[in-house]
Amino acid sequence: MADASRFWGRLRKNPEVLLGLVVVLAWIVVVIFAPLLAPYDPLQQNVSDRLQPPNDVYLLGTDELGRDILSRVLYGARITIPAGLVVIVVNTVIGWLIGAIAGFAGGAWDEAMMRTTELFMAFPTIILAMAITAALGPDIRNAVIALVIVRWTDYARLTRGLIIQAKTTEYVEAARSLGAGNIYLLFRTLLPNSVAPVLVYGSLDIGNAILLFAGLSFLGLGPEPSSPEWGRMISVGVSFFDQWWMWLSPGLAVASFVMAFNFIGDGLRDMLDPRSAT
Amino acid sequence: MDKNPGLRVRSRHLFLIGISLLLIVFSSAWAQDEEVIVIGHAEIAESYDPAHAFNPTTGMVHRVTYETLVTFPSADASSIVPLLAESWSISEDGLVYTFSLNQDAAFANGDAVEAEDVVFSFDRLRNVQAQPSFLTDPIVSVEAVDQSTVAVTLDSARPSFLAELTNSAFSISNAEVVRANGGTDSADAAEADAAMDYLNQTSAGSGPYILDGWAPQEQTILVRNADYWGDQPFFDRIVIVNIPEAATQRVALVSGEIDLATDLTPDQVVNLANSDEVDIYLGSSTWTHFLLMNRDPEVGGPMADPLVARAVRYALDYQGYLDLWAGSVTPGTNMWIGLAGAHGQEQSLERDLDRARELLAEAGYPDGFEVTLEYPDLTFAGVNLSTNAQKIQADLAEIGLTVNLLPGEVQVALEGYRNGTQGFAYWFWGPDKLDPIDFLEFLPGGKVAGERARWTENMVSSEILDLIAAARTETDPTARTEIFNQLQDYAQEDSAFAPFNVPAIQTAFRTDVEGYVWHPQWGVDLSLLSRSR
Amino acid sequence: MPFYKYILRRFLFAIPLVLGITVIAFLIANAVPADPINANLPQNALGNERLVNAFREKWGLDEPLHIQYLVYLGNLVRGDMGESIKTRNPVASDLRQFLPATIELASFSIVVGLVMGIGFGVISAVWRRSFHDYAVRVFALIGVSFPVFLLALIGLSLFHAQLGWFSGPGRLGFLTPKPPHITGLYTIDSLLTGRWSTFRDALSHLILPSLVLGSYVAGIITRITRSSLLDVLGTDYVRTARSKGQIEPLVVMRHALSNALIPVVTMLGVLYGNLLAGAVLIEAIFAWPGIGRYAFRASTSQDFPAIMGVSMLIAFIYVVANFVVDFLYFFLDPRIRYT
Repeated sequence: MADASRFWGRLRKNPEVLLGLVVVLAWIVVVIFAPLLAPYDPLQQNVSDRLQPPNDVYLLGTDELGRDILSRVLYGARITIPAGLVVIVVNTVIGWLIGAIAGFAGGAWDEAMMRTTELFMAFPTIILAMAITAALGPDIRNAVIALVIVRWTDYARLTRGLIIQAKTTEYVEAARSLGAGNIYLLFRTLLPNSVAPVLVYGSLDIGNAILLFAGLSFLGLGPEPSSPEWGRMISVGVSFFDQWWMWLSPGLAVASFVMAFNFIGDGLRDMLDPRSAT
Repeated sequence: MDKNPGLRVRSRHLFLIGISLLLIVFSSAWAQDEEVIVIGHAEIAESYDPAHAFNPTTGMVHRVTYETLVTFPSADASSIVPLLAESWSISEDGLVYTFSLNQDAAFANGDAVEAEDVVFSFDRLRNVQAQPSFLTDPIVSVEAVDQSTVAVTLDSARPSFLAELTNSAFSISNAEVVRANGGTDSADAAEADAAMDYLNQTSAGSGPYILDGWAPQEQTILVRNADYWGDQPFFDRIVIVNIPEAATQRVALVSGEIDLATDLTPDQVVNLANSDEVDIYLGSSTWTHFLLMNRDPEVGGPMADPLVARAVRYALDYQGYLDLWAGSVTPGTNMWIGLAGAHGQEQSLERDLDRARELLAEAGYPDGFEVTLEYPDLTFAGVNLSTNAQKIQADLAEIGLTVNLLPGEVQVALEGYRNGTQGFAYWFWGPDKLDPIDFLEFLPGGKVAGERARWTENMVSSEILDLIAAARTETDPTARTEIFNQLQDYAQEDSAFAPFNVPAIQTAFRTDVEGYVWHPQWGVDLSLLSRSR
Repeated sequence: MPFYKYILRRFLFAIPLVLGITVIAFLIANAVPADPINANLPQNALGNERLVNAFREKWGLDEPLHIQYLVYLGNLVRGDMGESIKTRNPVASDLRQFLPATIELASFSIVVGLVMGIGFGVISAVWRRSFHDYAVRVFALIGVSFPVFLLALIGLSLFHAQLGWFSGPGRLGFLTPKPPHITGLYTIDSLLTGRWSTFRDALSHLILPSLVLGSYVAGIITRITRSSLLDVLGTDYVRTARSKGQIEPLVVMRHALSNALIPVVTMLGVLYGNLLAGAVLIEAIFAWPGIGRYAFRASTSQDFPAIMGVSMLIAFIYVVANFVVDFLYFFLDPRIRYT
């Protein structure tokens, strides 16, 4: 309880974390309750009401087929955010496993893994992802697969560092001296110790995953054209940059989500930073 | 700029203000000692070799770089007028056309246009076996009677032949020049001819302009043919800039960077209508937008079923497309509405969802099915195909079809279309021949039907085949119209296509541009344009 | 450590990295597409047995995987990255054609990013917790949080279409002749040949895309500069300088900044690589004829050889950029010289 109240105290000193959390929570509510919140069906076309700027009937205006932008942005959250989440979850699991094995096994395994991650870092994430989606064919699933393939390395490196650190703790040395086996150590002590930091890192990384996913989708390598996915919606802006309402709302939706995670990340860093006490 | 340490640390505003000041100073126009017109255009061109090229952009360019034996008047297709041929005669049986070439006609390099050039150009068109080569199918032989007389023999009487000859594929090239640059008209030209690269960068024709370089997807440059044998055009240089996005074309036009924009959307035109700086031409285009449903069950799946194709025709919300594209028309069939006897909007189908659902049930799909719609991802003449595709998707959802959209890069998509590997596709078509005969491409025995929709002659009754054969050769206008009426009625019932919209064209140009005339065959004739002082 | 030894060591590190990049690219090219022949040849060539066999032969597809890799490497050394399906040109020659445009854009953007980023970082650190600090931090957040394609659209619609301040898509106006090819960078080539109007036009087309791309870099650099400057400002070294009564901004500039910039320099290589990749989206929107737009077109037309070529090229540039950064680092960070 003492910890919690101290945490709360610090949180109040860092309003941006609070703001970030509120925004993220709001989007989670949208993801869950989109059908209740959206005034219209996001796919419903009303050609006679096309290209209307924001007004009383269509709060955020309509697009080139007369679909309600607000409803589309709200439903879009149900595509973009889960896609980002899936990428992060799979990244975390794969990266964590590879990193843990490398860190635990050490030696040649470790060396090989580290060199491989370095190589992957040399490749431009989005272009490599484009190459993979181009080879697999464009759709949501393949965009997610592509992002998983190109983004696991950070997680592997992080986990490896944590495991190596944990291996040298007194607790593990003591367990070893008592005859604990490798497998036992790996599963009972090392892995659990590395889980929390990796999860924290992953949750802060969702924003980046979403930016990349929206980018792929913007390029036409994600869901199909009628999908209310945010990146896809923004891409019509290239043809309709005069009709700003069509692409600005989904654009700000992505930006607000990513910004919220950056707020949280910054705030957490500040809270853990000893200088912020002064 | 970076040398100033103050700029490094001060606010971005200073930087921005500085830059914008620079721009104001810089934006003064540069001196021009020649008359130049810049055309903003969404380029669709595979080549500028007339024997290979067969695209909207090449039609416009070839109109002024090459010439055909005969042509249409500048604004319509109401009659056939002389061009390189000053006169012609048709044999009694309608099989032999004899053309007398204009003795004044000369290529850009000064060589006279001779019968030999006509023979070479026609034979090369046939033998390179490229996209437009099919146009030579009715031709049995082309012979030079003497230096300025050519005889063309056909396999059967063909009332539409002169109209077909106006197609830019029948452009007459300078045989000597093309040969010197790897060209050949021999039977093995498909393999042996190597002139395309040369003809992509310059032209070997007799038109008022000469192609002076092409950077694909960037720009095409035409320069005036100073020795043109006809009337000199106004502009010394024409720059056709590829601007695929209508929004960019509009900004460039308003700012004066381009003089003429060919691909604005109806929405933009409404906003531009009040402008003092821009004039607008509105008219019906030649482009029929249609769905293709492949008749080969292995390619088309359920779409191969004629009942399903009919259901699709009844499911489309024709009125919706009219609302979407201001000034557009609903076609009755794939016969372009501007052709004599074409089923126009009055005879077009109307949406009937109940009937569509019944037809689907009759075909054995009461609960619908899932299908992929392929289409090229582009905006053409102001029509964004992706917008229509999404409407098609929504229309068909109402009869239980789940349509997945698969936009493709245009070259890739074209390949699938031409190879007949698309089961369900969205394309548009402008007539190759401004004659009702063009419609036969969409019936069994025709190119689009056979190669692209795999709808072949063995799939239809002998009565229909007889009608199609008669349509090719009938010369009496009344009888011809009657035949085409019957064929169009048949197509509305049983065709493998669902035509749904003929959009308007909207061209906008700076008010000082004069002489804009739109033609259904070649679009705009660039040589007629001029600039007022 | 003497300079030559340091450089030699860095260079030796780079070799396996470059080889490794080719391995990864090779593996992706082989493992990802269901059928490499299908992915690498145009559709109309697939039915042509002669072309298919020639392709098999050239890339050693009938050989075991490790031999295939050697064949691949051999072709690569000869500058052969395969043929683009879309342009039908060798990928290497396409890349040569399109790279200068991207280098020009990315270099401009990184300069814009550095100028804005360091400037804002300094302001924010020196006047910590002031209004300026908050304003700068919000800017930095926007830079890293807003999708670049959104910034690009806002820039185009506001500064080009509405206000008409900057030129829009493309590298030059439609009528401006291209400068003669020397470096391929229009600004430099036009300056070298004294074509002022071309230079101005090229510059005005560069501004908007490089501001957009630069603001992403600026966001990152602002944050790094700010935090490393705060670190340095807190050290005894600076406190001493302060106690000697030297005025504050001078302290910052002279002592602190040079130390604080070390982390910025180390990031430059990575940032440049990111910029080249980020250029894909910007180039697609601004019709900028660089490798980014080439990659974009390649990906939408399933032009696999082309897009793998771009990936590999950028990876190589990344390695080279980091090598250069190591080089700079040697001079900036005195500690290296004594280890």
